[in-house]
Amino acid sequence: MYLDLELTESEKMLKRTALDFMRREVPNEIIKTLLETDTGYTEELWRNIVEMGWPGIIVPEQYSGEEYTLTSAGVLLEALGSGPLPGPYFSSAILGSLIVMEAGAEEQKQEILPAVAEGEKILTLALTEPEYSWEPDAVQTNAANENGDFILNGLKLFTLEAEAATHFIVVARTQNNTDPARGISLFLVDSQCDGLTVRRVPGFLSGRSFEVKLNNVKVPGSALLGEKDVGWDNLQRAINKAIPILCAYKVGGAQAVLEMALKYSRSRVQFGRPIGRFQLVQDMIIEMVNHVDAARWTTYEALWKLDTQRPSEESVHLAKAVTSTAYWEVCTLAHQVFSGVSYSEEHAVSFHTRTSRHLYNFLGDPSYHRQKLGQLLVPL
Amino acid sequence: MNFSLDYTEEQEQFAKEVRAWLDENIPEDLIPVRDTRKMSIEQWEKRREFTRRLGKKGWLYPRYPTEYGGGGLDMDFHFVILEELGKKGMALPPLYDMGILCAPAVLACGTEEQKKRILPRIFKGEALTWQLFTEPEAGTDAANQQTNALRSVREKDHFIINGQKIFTGSFPSKPEQLYVLTRSDLDAPRHQNLTSFVIPADLPGITVQPLDLFILTTFPAATGPTGANMEGVKHTVFFDDVKVPESCMIGKEGEGWKVTIATLDVEHSGGFGGATGNFVVEEFLSQCRNNPNILMRLRENPQLLDSVVEIYIGEQIERLWTLRNAGGMGGPYAGPQLALFEKMFGKRLAPLMAKVLGPYTFADDEQWGMGNGIFEVGQRCAVALAPGGTPEALKIGISRALAVGR
Repeated sequence: MYLDLELTESEKMLKRTALDFMRREVPNEIIKTLLETDTGYTEELWRNIVEMGWPGIIVPEQYSGEEYTLTSAGVLLEALGSGPLPGPYFSSAILGSLIVMEAGAEEQKQEILPAVAEGEKILTLALTEPEYSWEPDAVQTNAANENGDFILNGLKLFTLEAEAATHFIVVARTQNNTDPARGISLFLVDSQCDGLTVRRVPGFLSGRSFEVKLNNVKVPGSALLGEKDVGWDNLQRAINKAIPILCAYKVGGAQAVLEMALKYSRSRVQFGRPIGRFQLVQDMIIEMVNHVDAARWTTYEALWKLDTQRPSEESVHLAKAVTSTAYWEVCTLAHQVFSGVSYSEEHAVSFHTRTSRHLYNFLGDPSYHRQKLGQLLVPL
Repeated sequence: MNFSLDYTEEQEQFAKEVRAWLDENIPEDLIPVRDTRKMSIEQWEKRREFTRRLGKKGWLYPRYPTEYGGGGLDMDFHFVILEELGKKGMALPPLYDMGILCAPAVLACGTEEQKKRILPRIFKGEALTWQLFTEPEAGTDAANQQTNALRSVREKDHFIINGQKIFTGSFPSKPEQLYVLTRSDLDAPRHQNLTSFVIPADLPGITVQPLDLFILTTFPAATGPTGANMEGVKHTVFFDDVKVPESCMIGKEGEGWKVTIATLDVEHSGGFGGATGNFVVEEFLSQCRNNPNILMRLRENPQLLDSVVEIYIGEQIERLWTLRNAGGMGGPYAGPQLALFEKMFGKRLAPLMAKVLGPYTFADDEQWGMGNGIFEVGQRCAVALAPGGTPEALKIGISRALAVGR
């Protein structure tokens, strides 16, 4: 039988190394501080991450990357999610790399990917706008061709990690077409460009989510990633690969929260016994375990399908719908198990609660993916 | 990782052998196990014959040791047998047989003599076994046995059994063998007062009576989507001064709970049946895609698609946890977790399907009803939570395995 659900030896080692890294370099006090900052990282922490080779985890070797499988990247992200590690790691190393790998022309890959793998360039996707949606018809930001340059105008909203990013991947319309997915192009835009302004959207649960204004931002023709007008398909391919890796990050978070709740319910005594002895508490624990296990296995199957070039569309929607819900619910249940003590800003459960909320809609929320899944299951 | 259930070359070779054998040995006109509406005594007899043939071949209990009449195969080949039987509309076992629960107990706790005497008859499909744990006063509290098995005063190497068991067996099968839990000591503390037996079903003093339940037709098993054990009607069994020789006692006197645990671990572990999906859900999806009446409902109200998705998600989780358990990657709680999920998913299925399919869901009718397990789901949601342990009992098992419970 081919069925083999164990991690490979190198994946096990990667997991151990990453969990160890989290314990050593990113303890709770650091996470709490980082969650408050606009970038979510410190120079020192980013240097350490670069030393581990992680920014290039999925970048092909020919572009100075590690060329790991998506499953291995999932294993790493699961470990990083246990903190959770804040900052632009996913935005740049996973989603950013994938978009450049899918969309970039050869010389762009040669220029951009090594810089991402070395941690010198930090990328983030600027796609969604005030009409918040992950569908192409919501893209209204315009890129006008002017003597070989492009002039970008528009407003990107709820862009993650905009303060940390050195470059944005801006999704913009270069042609009006009856098919909204046609006529969209991707641009690599330096965050220091004239006319580009960034403002963090305040909100305890909103994470590092930003408003990015593009006011006559002029970029050279070489900023166009790949071909003009066909950016949407490339973007979708990249997002589909990135989604289950993001899911793995959430699985790691949910697993960590579950373990905290298990430990607490064994040791917290009320009415003269550990609260885990109460069946009403057990019920919540079981619900948490079910969420975590549903998230874990839908996620890893989607990664396996992507790595083995199997049809994966349904699995990706499934994983994202299940996992985003799972992370959210597990955190809420944990607050119920912990009660008052978990309301502290310093309590690790609260880090995950904030993360589960601010990532809930990112790359499509559960209802979006359920809708997509429904359309695939029963074409009407 | 590899989630693939495709056959390896070795498995493909074996599958050819299995397919050829099945073509030769499946009795003519045998209806698929899912087609519960057409179940009849004649059909049951055919399944019984087919069960014997499978047993003789060693494929009824493929993974048990050959020295006791099992197949001696590993999981790779067991899986092929399940798959190929499934393609023919059959399941393993093809009829209600709680030998699947009795055999592990005998293997774990029986003497060598008992293993040689009892196991081959189970494995060869010669002795259909019923499990008799539940009593009117021993439901979820299975240790609260009131059926007494007391040493005979005149013949010290015999026990006399008196009491009543309930919710066991199936129609129209008659058991050849009973796997019974009893109270053998009226004074010993709880859990130390029990003794297990495997006895012939035709001993004097044993009366089997069908129960008048509101599930008058047949319905699929609660314990997994394989379609095995589909016959529905349950029985009560009375013991009036039933004399049983000591050689029928499994394990030591007073250690019946230990034997029972060996069974419950298997019973609460879920099967391998959902590894390739849930046939009821597959049938449901096919109705959604192909039945014009249902397509019309979905087009009129596309919101119903979310219920389709809800069902699909449940199926996928069930499938993936089955793979996880089969792949040995589940924790100590994984068995009861899967069993619990199957039950709770079964419970949710009926209202979700009714929402999408409308009243067609419940019609048991050649023209307007839906086959392949759909109409049974309506009944299943109401009555299938208890067999094999209530959800609450399973939750207690999960909690203990997670070291939060007692």
